[in-house]
Order: sequence, then C-alpha cells, then structure tokens
Amino acid sequence: MVTYIVRRLITAVLILLGASFVVYILTAASGDPLQEYRGSNLPNVADLIKARTQLLDLDTPAPLRYFKWLAGAGGCLIPFAGSCDLGKNLAGQPVTAALGQAMTQTLGLVTAAIILAVLVGVFLGIITALRQYSALDYGVTFMAFLFFSLPIFWVAVLLKEYGAIDFNNFLRDPQIPLLTALTIGLVVAVLAWIISGGAVKRRAVSAAAAFVVVTAVLLYLSVTNWFRSPGLGPVVILIAGAAIAFGVTLLSAGLKNRKALYSALITVGLGIIAYYSVQGLLDQATPLMIVLLAIATVLVGAAVGYFMGGYDRGQNMRAGGITAFLIGVLIVADKYMQNWPDYFNNGRVRGRPIATIGAATPNLNGDYWVSGLDAFTHLILPTVALVLISLASYTRFTRSSMLEIMNMDYIRTARAKGLSERTVVMRHAFRNALIPIATVVAFDIGGLIGGAVITETVFAIPGMGVLFFDGISHVDPNPVMGVFIVTAITAMVFNLIADLVYSALDPRVRVKS
Amino acid sequence: MRLGRISKALGVAAVAALALSACAGNSGGTSSSSAAAAKSGGTATVVEVNAFNTFNSNTADGNTDINSKVAYPTHSSFYYIDNKLNVVHNDKFGKFEKISDNPLTVKYTINDGVKWSDGAPVDASDMILQWAVASGYYNDADATGKKGTSYFSYAGDTTGLGLTSFPEIGDNNRSITIKYSKPFADWEIALDMSAAIPAHVLAQKAGLKDSQAFIDLLKGLPKGDPKAPKPANAQLKKMADFFNTGFDTKTLPSDPSLYLSDGPYIVKSMTPDQSLTMVRNKDYNWGPTPSLDEITVRYIGDSAAQVQALKNGEADIVSPQASSDTVEQLKAIQGVTVDQGNQLAYDHLDLNFSGPLKDLNVRQAFMKTVPRQDIVDKIIKKLDPNAKPLDSQIFVPQQASYADSVKSNGSADYQSVDIDGAKKLLNGATPTIKIMYNKDNPNRVDAFSLIRESATKAGFKIVDGGLGKSDWGKALGDGSYDATIFGWINPGVGVSGIPQIFKTGNGSNFNKFSDPAADQLMDKLIQTTDKTQQNDLEKQIDQKIWASGYGLPLFQSVNVDAYSDRITGVKLMPNQTGVWWNFWEWAAK
Amino acid sequence: MTQPTQDIELAAEEAERASAPAAGIEPVLEAKGLSQGQIVRKRFFGHTGAMVGLVAFVLIFLLAFSASGIGPIPGWWKYSFTDVSSLVNDGAPTVTGPFSWGEHPFGQDRIGRDLFAMTMRGTEQSIMIMFIIGLLAGLIGVVIGSLSGYFRGWVEAVLMRLTDVIIIVPLLLLAAVLGQIAANKGAGTFLGYIANNFGVALLGILIGCAAWPSLARVVRGEFLSLREREFVDAARISGASNTRIIFKHILPNAVGVVIVNVTLLMSSAILLETALSYLGVGVHPPDTSLGLLISQNQQAFSTRPWLFWFPGLFIILICLSINFIGDGLRDAFDPRQKKFNSKKAKDSRATAAKPAAETAGA
Repeated sequence: MVTYIVRRLITAVLILLGASFVVYILTAASGDPLQEYRGSNLPNVADLIKARTQLLDLDTPAPLRYFKWLAGAGGCLIPFAGSCDLGKNLAGQPVTAALGQAMTQTLGLVTAAIILAVLVGVFLGIITALRQYSALDYGVTFMAFLFFSLPIFWVAVLLKEYGAIDFNNFLRDPQIPLLTALTIGLVVAVLAWIISGGAVKRRAVSAAAAFVVVTAVLLYLSVTNWFRSPGLGPVVILIAGAAIAFGVTLLSAGLKNRKALYSALITVGLGIIAYYSVQGLLDQATPLMIVLLAIATVLVGAAVGYFMGGYDRGQNMRAGGITAFLIGVLIVADKYMQNWPDYFNNGRVRGRPIATIGAATPNLNGDYWVSGLDAFTHLILPTVALVLISLASYTRFTRSSMLEIMNMDYIRTARAKGLSERTVVMRHAFRNALIPIATVVAFDIGGLIGGAVITETVFAIPGMGVLFFDGISHVDPNPVMGVFIVTAITAMVFNLIADLVYSALDPRVRVKS
Repeated sequence: MRLGRISKALGVAAVAALALSACAGNSGGTSSSSAAAAKSGGTATVVEVNAFNTFNSNTADGNTDINSKVAYPTHSSFYYIDNKLNVVHNDKFGKFEKISDNPLTVKYTINDGVKWSDGAPVDASDMILQWAVASGYYNDADATGKKGTSYFSYAGDTTGLGLTSFPEIGDNNRSITIKYSKPFADWEIALDMSAAIPAHVLAQKAGLKDSQAFIDLLKGLPKGDPKAPKPANAQLKKMADFFNTGFDTKTLPSDPSLYLSDGPYIVKSMTPDQSLTMVRNKDYNWGPTPSLDEITVRYIGDSAAQVQALKNGEADIVSPQASSDTVEQLKAIQGVTVDQGNQLAYDHLDLNFSGPLKDLNVRQAFMKTVPRQDIVDKIIKKLDPNAKPLDSQIFVPQQASYADSVKSNGSADYQSVDIDGAKKLLNGATPTIKIMYNKDNPNRVDAFSLIRESATKAGFKIVDGGLGKSDWGKALGDGSYDATIFGWINPGVGVSGIPQIFKTGNGSNFNKFSDPAADQLMDKLIQTTDKTQQNDLEKQIDQKIWASGYGLPLFQSVNVDAYSDRITGVKLMPNQTGVWWNFWEWAAK
Repeated sequence: MTQPTQDIELAAEEAERASAPAAGIEPVLEAKGLSQGQIVRKRFFGHTGAMVGLVAFVLIFLLAFSASGIGPIPGWWKYSFTDVSSLVNDGAPTVTGPFSWGEHPFGQDRIGRDLFAMTMRGTEQSIMIMFIIGLLAGLIGVVIGSLSGYFRGWVEAVLMRLTDVIIIVPLLLLAAVLGQIAANKGAGTFLGYIANNFGVALLGILIGCAAWPSLARVVRGEFLSLREREFVDAARISGASNTRIIFKHILPNAVGVVIVNVTLLMSSAILLETALSYLGVGVHPPDTSLGLLISQNQQAFSTRPWLFWFPGLFIILICLSINFIGDGLRDAFDPRQKKFNSKKAKDSRATAAKPAAETAGA
C-alpha cells in the first residue's frame, strides 16, 4: 500500500510538472503583456515598456522562463520558509499573496456547493432510478438537463433579482397573503402527488396532507411574523426530532429494530435537555467549540445506542449517532435564528440581509453567530447557482449506476431470500452504487473550480476565478499560472484520494503494489 | 454495573463541558456594538470596478483609477478640477502663483497647520519629493535602459517639470519656488500634491534622520544626464525602491506611516479585493469640509452586478460602464437618481495620408459618407438623449471654447451624409478602403458597420480590418490599413497632449498628418502660458486639421452615475476622477 | 413502456449472446436476424425523450443552416447577420404568429441588425464549433484510448501520462487560454490563416485538441476489458493483424461508449463556447455565436429581453436535445441496462414489506 502511494505521488509530481510546462507555454503564447502600451500616446512609454519587460522577464524566451518560474515555485514546497515565489502580477505584486486570499474564498464556495450537489444529486438519482420512466423520472431528468443547459450568468441574474432583491423586499413586511399561501400549498401538493407514486388513493392522501400542512404553516409563519424573528423553539425541535428519529431508524435499521428506535428517541430527549443547558455556552461560541460540541453530540448519541444493547449494537449506535447529529444541527440552526433580528437590524445590513455581491458585509464586526449569518446570506446565492448547474451530472450518474446495480444478480439474490425492499435498496444497492460516484466527485472538483470563474465574477467574490479572469483579460501571465497550479493540485489530490477510497470501498479493485 | 456506566458517562460529559467552556470566545455579547455603526454624519458605499492595491498612485504600476480615487480624499492639494474642467484653487491648503513670466517662475506655499495624520507638518520636503518624482530630475537611464538609473517610477508626463532646476526653499520650510528654463503652457497643473507621499516617512524608511536630511541629500545631487550615466546613488536608490514598491498592499498595513493622510479622510480598514473603508481625518481643517463620517468602497467588475447591488441597497453610488440597457435598468429602480453626461473620452475616425486615401478629394469624399448623426443616434442617443456628434478635434463641449471653434473650424461641411457629393469627388473611382478597429469593443464594431453601410453606397469598397483587443493597438500606424476607428482621452485641462497627436512625426500621430503651419502653431502653443492666447492657437489648429481631411471625431463616450436617494450632492464629472471630485459635498439623508 | 417491446429486447439479447460463441449457427429464435445495429436502433427509436430531442435538433439544424446559408450558398432569409437596416418598431420582435413573421421576427439590436439572422448565424456557428469539438476530441480520444488500451506496456504508460497531464487542468481554464491564443493570432502565421479564413473553426479545433482526455480514459477502459474476450483471442489465433483486431473486432463493440460520450461532450462544448464568449475569449464580433449573443445582450435582460431570450432559447434547445439524444443512446447501447421496474419487483414478491418508493421518498 505504501509503495503504491509513493509511486502515485511520484507520478503525480511528474504529471504536475508536465502540465505546468504546457500551461506556461500556452499562457505565454496567449497574448502580449505589453499590448496596452503599444498604441499608447504616453510620453514615457519606452520607460514603461522597459519596466514591464524587466518585471516579467520578457527578454527570456518562454521555455527558459518556465524553469526560472519553476525554481521560484519550488520554494513553495518548503513549509514556513517564506520562499514561495510564483512571480509577480502586472502591478508588481507577488502572486502568492493574492492566490492565498483567493483560494480560501473559492474553496469555501466550492466545498459548500459540492457537498450540497452530491447530497441532492445522489438523492434525486436514486429516486429516479427506482421510478425509471415515471413522470418523476422524466421531470427530474428534464429539470437537471435544463439547469445544466442554462448559462450560469443568466441563473445568477435571476437568482439575484428574485432570491435577493425581491426576498429582501418581502422581508420588509413579511406577510403572506392567503391566496399566495394557497397557491404554494397547491404547488407542493402537485409535487407530492408526483413524488409519492403508487395507487391513486395513496397519492391523493399525501397530496392533500402536503397541501394542508404547507398552507397552514405558511399562514402561521406569516401571522407570527416569523420571518422577522425566526426560531424553532423546543416544541418544533421535539416534533422534528421525533420525526428524525423515526426516519433515521427507518433508513438505517428498520422500524422493527425497537432497540434502535428507542436509542434514537432517547437521544432526542437528551437533545431537548441539551437545548436548555447549552444556550449560555453557545452565546460565546467559537468555531472550535462548535466542532467539539458536534463531536461530543455524535459520541453521546452513539453511547446511548451502545448502552441500549441488543443483538446489533452497531445499528443502535448508528441510529443514535445520526439522530444526535441532526438534533445538534437543529439546535445550532435555532441559535442562528435567534440571532437573526440582531443581524437584520444591524446598521450595516439595514434590513436587506440577502446579498448580491461579495463574501461579507464590510465592517460588520459581529460575533460568531452574526458573522456566520453574514457569510450565509452572502454565500447562499452563488452556492445555489453552482449547485443547480452541477446537479445534472450527479443525478444522471447515480441514476445509471443505480439502475445497473438493481439488475445485478446479487440484488436478485437478496430479493429472493426475502429481504425487505428497504434493506435491498439501502444495504445492497445504494452502497455499491456510491462507489463510482467517488471518482466522479474527484473529477468534478477541478471542473467546479473552473466553473466558479463565472459565478465569482457575477457575484463579485474575489476568488481564484476572478484572479484568473483578470489575468486573462489583462494578459497578465503569472496570476493565470498560479490559478492553474492550485486547481491542478486540488484535482490531483482529490483524484488520489478517490483512488484510495475506491480501493477501500471495493475489494475487487486491488491495489497494485 | 449499569449505574457505574452511567456515572462514568456523566463524568466524561462534565469534563467535556469544562473543556468547552474553556475554549469559548471572550467576546460574548458584543453583537450589539456593531449596531451603532450609523453615526451622525452617515455613511455611503461607492462601487468601483477595480480593486485597490497601493497607497502610492504615482508609480507606473500604481497609477490605476481606483488607487488615484482613494488617494484623492486622503490628500489635500493646491487645487482641484471641477466638473466644468476649471482649475479651482484651495487657499486653505496653500497658495501658488506665477511670480515671473520670463523665466517662468512659480512659487508654492503651504499654510501653517497643515499636517499629516501622524502630526508631522506637510512642508517643502514633501513638495521637493513630489517635484523629484514628477520631474525625473535625477534619472540618467539612457533610452536602451542598459546604462544609468531610473529612480522614482512615475506614470505621468515629466516634460513640464523636467524643464526646471532644483527648487528654492523658503518661508521657514513652507514654500518652494520653481524656475522653468522655457515657458511651459501647463504650469498650473504641473505640481500636483493630490497623491503625494510624505517625505519624512520615505526618509525614515531609507535610513535618513529626518526630512531635512532628505532635502540635503537631494540638494547635493546633480541633475541626471542620460548621455553620461553615473553610478546610482545608493541612498536615493534605496528611497526610490521603497517609493516604487513599499506602499503596495491589499491589506491595511500594520505600520500606520504607510497610509498617512493629509486630506479629509483616512483609510480605516481594507478587505483584499472586496472593500476599503475610509473615516474622517479628525485633524483636517484645510479645505472643503466633508459631511459623511465614513465612505466604503466596494469593488464590483460586472456592471449588471453593480446595478443589482444598488437595487438591493448594498451600494449607494455606482458608475457602471454605460449601455442603454444599464441606464434603463437604473432608471427603473425606485429611489435612485441617474445622471448621464459626456466623458472626456471620444471615438474618432482617422484617415491615413497615404495609400488610396492619399488624395485629399478621396479623403473628403469618404468623410462625406460617414453617417455621424446616425452613429450617435444608434449608439449614444439611448444613453444620453442630448448627445450630438463631436465637432472638434481639439475641444470637447464641456470646454468654453468648443462652441466658438465649431463655428469656424469647417465641421459644418460634414454635418450630414452627402453621398452625391462624395460620388462627385470620387469621380467614378471606387477605392478599396481597409478600416481597422478593435472588434472587441461593441461601439467600434457598430460604428464600423454603419460606416461600411453608408460608404459602400458612394462606391467605396470597404474591407473589414477589425482586430482583437490585444492586436489593434499594435497595428496603429503600421500602414496595414487605410482608416481606423479608435478613441482618445482628452485630458480636459492643459494643452501638452495636442502636439503628441497632431505634430509631424510624433509618436501618436498614427495617420502621418503633417502640416508645417499647424506644427508652428503647436510649437507656439506649448510655450504660451496665457489662457486666451492658448485658446486662440488651439482654434487655429482645429481649423487646419479639419481642412486637411484628417478624419472625423465621432462621439464622446457617455458617463453614467446613479445614486440612491439616501445620498445627496453627487455630481457628474467627465474626467477620470469620476463622482469622487466633490466627495465633500456628499451627505446622507 | 409496453410489454412487447421488452420481450423483443430480451429476445434480441438472447440472440446476441447465442450468436457470439457459435458463429455461423443460426439460433432458432423468433427474433432472429436482428443485428446489434438493429437492436440499438430499435431501442433508440423507442426512447421518447431521445426521439423528441432528435427531431428538435434536426429541425433547429435545418432552420439555421438553410436560413443563413452555408459558405457561398446564400440562405433564404432576406437579411444577413451583418446587414444594418433601419429600426422597425424600436427593435422589438415583429412576430405575431407562426405564419406572420413580419419584418424582423426576433427583433433588432441597437443599430438595426436583424436578430433572427444573427441567431441563425449564431446557431450555425455554435453547432459547427460543437461538431468540430466533438469529432476532433472523439477522434483523438478514440485513437489514444484504443492504442493504450490495446497495446498496454509503455505505449499505455506514455499516452496515459499525457492524458493525465491534460486532464488535471480544468477544461474551461485551458479553453480560455486557447481561446485567447485563437483570438490573438493576426495575419502571417499558420493559425492566423485558419482564423481569417475559417472563422470560429480555429476555436473549435484548439478546444477539440484539449477536450479529448476523458474520452480517451473511457475508451481505454473499454479496450482493456474487451481485449481479454474470447472473440479477440479467436481473431488473433486466426492471424488477424493488430489493426484489423482494433478496427474490425474491438472498436465496433466499444462504439456505444464512444458515441454516448461524444454526444455528452458536444452538449458541454456548446456551454463551453457560451462561457468563453462571456469571458471575452470565445467568438469575436463581427462574427457571432449564440454564446456571444447572450453575453453581449445580458444587460438587455430586463429592458429588451428578446435580445437575450431568443439566442438563450436556442442554446437551451440544442443542449437539451443533444442531452436527450445522448441519454437515449446510452440506454440503447447498454445491453445490461434492462428496464428495472420496482413495481414489478414488488409484485413478484408476495411478502413485500415496503414499496421502494416509500423508502426512497422518506
């Protein structure tokens, strides 16, 4: 295994060298950095040309310049030495500083987008595979391809218009008229009709239930001015928690496994107690604390499962752990909502929380919760845009992977021995269908960073995309190179991880060592 | 057994709780303090396209629009330029006057009490530094750059102050007197302190004791001679190196001396590539008093994003790249005022004085076919309903002499398309004309399409010579085309730019226009210090250019500002200072 | 869909399976004589989404190429995409019904060029770029993939490392640099010659040269497994040359994978061109493409929406139809992908505890 990793790493370095050389030559050939001076009528144009030639070392032919650049870039491998040198941009500033900045922004954006896209995409992929050639399947396929086909700047403009500007206008006086509530309820009911499938009666029941619940909730929220001062409160957390407990148990262990169900329900009870006890602590939250709390929560949930005992402790622990985590998410979400009015009425925000540009409100200086909300309101639209366009590949891939697996002999065997459909889907099919998705995700990360170029430009987020775009349009080779290197390394690393995960998940893939 | 387990679990939980409270933030309950941001004077958010990257906007690399715009409110100067393109003196900062015409001598005095934000006075040393930078006095690098040294990098034109010798210092280190070896027409705007770097900071960074040591050093050095380069002076070189790169930053430096202010505002915080915030400089009382407490600059490149940011209340003042759709969208937003007007940049059609257009008749025939009114109607009218074709090669309508010049310069002959007249002048010939333009600029592409359409009717064969954005500039003047459409920026103030474009053999005279009489007039113009005489000469030059069949100015670019009703006092400005020119008049409602 | 189709499919598969090992012996089956091509065609034509996509694409193709003409042959539409005419109805679309198009059915831009002509020209150019990229990348990908998959050893090592070198650079970024190169080549150079004489073809060629790696990987994988199959051994023993084995025996079996991937590549090529034009490194005016049209007119989005919607609509239509065709091809070519029917699966077991739907929907 170690030999394999070492060998992979060495190949990776060689590939990186090759790729950077090719890209360097291409970038150098792509334009003339002196172009803005060529037609200039400035009196000191000769000086300016000289200065820039010196800055970018244009007298050296590009292939030789690459090796000089490489020597500087090699410095980045030595940690903490500060010898990292990726060249300078046209303004004479080192690329490394700008790149470091941009990297954080882009990776933040892309991480959230990719997680969401994978979750939603896999979910949709599975249900469309289980309902192949149904209205749902065609609908999802059509929507996925449609979003995939939309130019992203178009999506961005629409999102800003309706998701930010109109939503903010709505928040000024968050009343939902009866007619709107009824319409939304109706739409949800239609969706429920399509999704639920099965006999007409079943469909009708779920549609009616969805209609009543959604309309009632909307009207309740409107009457209580919920959008201005949102919150979940212990009651909602308790109800949602119970639902989560049943859902998680259903998916992970089956409702027949009473021990698992009880562990999940006990965890919910503990969660409600925790809800009251951690409020004071949460007021002084830091990111580290939230992470530690999350770990503790999962451990408590698992512990409950462990102490429940029974014939399969693993299942109890899984049910308890997952439930605990989700309850924790609810509590944190509730805390964020409690801080919403504070954020909303902030003098910098001026009651228009959803932002169309940038990654943060300048000079906000809020605490953990307020700055968290600020990051949320800024990142939500670009993330949604990225998710919409990358959804298609995950949905389609999961669907075909799932379909293939559902026709495998071992699935037939599983059915034949009388396992419930849930067990067949969740235990046998789903996990195996996930394996190839690991590779797709790894491939997609490079592409998504590339695709973020336009999203960042439209949302004015100073990430790598903007850096790259600026570099291309001003014929500024070094930042372009910097972005290439970072995305290439990211893609490379994720490919490596995917290969390792692959061999861990699938015993058939043997590692050649 | 079971109890034991539970107590163990409780113990673990207790320890965990302790650990968690230990790592809690100490800043509990501070969220309310940020709500106090709205102070008495109010705040405004201005949107700019590019990101700030240096506190020294003098250098060739640092002289971008945004760096200059941030330098403007954080500096004070002897004068500013208003939106009628007048030079307005700021007597509270200091005064400058011409004390002799022959030789041209100008004295600059800074008032007592004007100081940098670290308390050091703004004095002669700062002016000496600005003079040394803007005159290139010490540079002795030869044309090839192989020998000698260029010290301070400077983006501007050094010809004016280059004519001067080391200034005389007086009035207790508060004044300098500059003597020119030849009369220089633009003396009034030669020394600009609106982006000055504090000399005492630079002196310290270069290891000198104080600003006096700095003056002594510079005084002792000879004028650089590119013909006889000398070894570089180590101290001056060190200083120049720091000047050229030491102020570059995208984050707020920890050393406050790197961002000293002697203007109404001082930079308070910076987020790289996102925003910059300025607050009032509390010592400031030497000039117009601003009313806003805080100005935030945010950088948004995309103009649609700018419009939506204004609509969403994230920005208060935007000046997006103008297009008729942007204007319409801005006008559709409630609570937003939109201002439109001309920019100093203008597009023009230049005809080569060689090839098929060598003959004056052919040039004039071609000019008769150019549908200037149509171009303006289709490209500019939607943006600015008052737009008209530009009728002068020298002036823009904002300048008082424009109207006068237009009456007599001969532009009247080209007011409307005259296909018959063009045919008559061509006399049956069908010359092939290759027009070069930047095909990445939609205005130029559209202007070309319209000109082609019209010129073809008169018998011209038009060849599309459009080039990409990185090629068209290189092709200027290389003879590969017969006519070209591109843009100039009229500086609005000063006359030094005119010979650059129109004098025989000069670098920017791309179509090889040559008229001995006009050359003489321009030589005279550049040495005339009197405004009225300057205007007279300029009018004569304008006339000569039109008579020669040089080409046609087409239209001025349009400037669009929009601001939310929260802010008052924003006024349109045609030059590159943009809305910032009167930032002290901005007020929040 | 309907039951009989499925039976035919199954029968056809049986036939296929039976015919492979026992060549020459006619299997005694009802659906005899169905070649692989016929099976694929049958399945493809039975795929509603794919058929709708195909028809839509053919219609768009014909409309665009006939309206604006090909090369020297003029099209039937009265305006060319560069013609300037006076503004009718302030540039708004004049189309009022399917047969009353008016003077400028899609409207005009600000200087009076006809948007229908521009959209058709743009569609033509975008389709051209799409095909060039698809064919070129397909060709390179297939050659590299099949060589490395078939010969293995050092050929594979070299070619696959080459593939890796290109694949780790995000395509959009690479294409942006290539687009910049394509735009900056003036007269005099070889690339410049292509750029001046074939317009957008150069962009397509350059991007095609960069877009092949993912296909090469897929083809290699397919070859790796196919070369171990018995029929390849049989061919080798009977003395077939490598060329013959690759082209006559393995490639026809891998053609499904190739076609499916090329289709998907083509649909992303159109979006790639759109993105590049938005970034200013794609097609340059005065020539036009769909991507360029919508990025030029994105600010007209709310004020003169027709400038944005018509070209945008064509992009979406082309993309959707290509994707659906690809989807249909995938289903048609994949012999393993029988229709899985959860309802049937459920019905077949009397003791079905939970329908799959409920589980997945929860």
